[in-house]
Amino acid sequence: MNLPHYNYLISYDFTDYKFYSEGPKGKITKVVRYTKIEENPDLYNLAFGDEQQDFWEINDSIITNNNDRDLVLSTVANTVIDFTNYYGECNIVAKGSTVSRTRLYQIGISGLLEEISIYFYVYGLKDDIWHDFQKNVNYEAFLIKRK
Amino acid sequence: MPEVEKTVEHKELKGKGIISSEVRSYANDPFFVKKAEEAREMIKRVGLPGDKKKQA
Repeated sequence: MNLPHYNYLISYDFTDYKFYSEGPKGKITKVVRYTKIEENPDLYNLAFGDEQQDFWEINDSIITNNNDRDLVLSTVANTVIDFTNYYGECNIVAKGSTVSRTRLYQIGISGLLEEISIYFYVYGLKDDIWHDFQKNVNYEAFLIKRK
Repeated sequence: MPEVEKTVEHKELKGKGIISSEVRSYANDPFFVKKAEEAREMIKRVGLPGDKKKQA
C-alpha cells in the first residue's frame, strides 16, 4: 500500500508494533498488537491503542485528536501486511472498544477498500453474521484474510 | 513462433516496518488481554466467515 503512513517498529516475533503519532497534542505512542485467539485455522485479534507513558499501559478509550486519523489508520493497515507476510494466510479480527471506535475502523477500511481488496478478503459482522464488507454499512466487527 | 509474454498478477506486498528491540511484548498488557478475550467470546458465538451455520 502506498498511502502515507508513519514509520513503525516491529517486535522480533511480528506480533507487536509501535509508532508515534505527531500533531497538535504532541507525540503520542501508538501500539498495535496481534493476539492469537484460535488455531486451525489460525485467528488473531488486532487491537491498538495509546501507550500511557505514566503507567506503560495501553488504552483505546482516549480520543487523541491529533488530527492524523488517516495516517494512523493507514499505518495500522500497513502492519497487517508485515504481520501476514510473516504468519501467512491467517484470519484477523478487529473490533473497537466502543461503537464510535468500531465506526472509526470502518471508516479506515472503507477508505482503503479498493487497495485492501486486491490482497485481502474483507468481512463485516452484522447481526451476528459475517458479510462481504460493503461501504456505508455499519458493522459490529471486521475480519480480514490474506488472499 | 512469436514469444508470448505472460502477465502475472503481482500479489507480493512488501512490509514497511523495521524490526527493533525497542518494541517490547504487550502479551500481558491488560488492555490487549481483555480485547483478545472479548474477540474469543465473539468468535465462539458467531464463528468465522464460511462456517456453514453462520454464512450470510
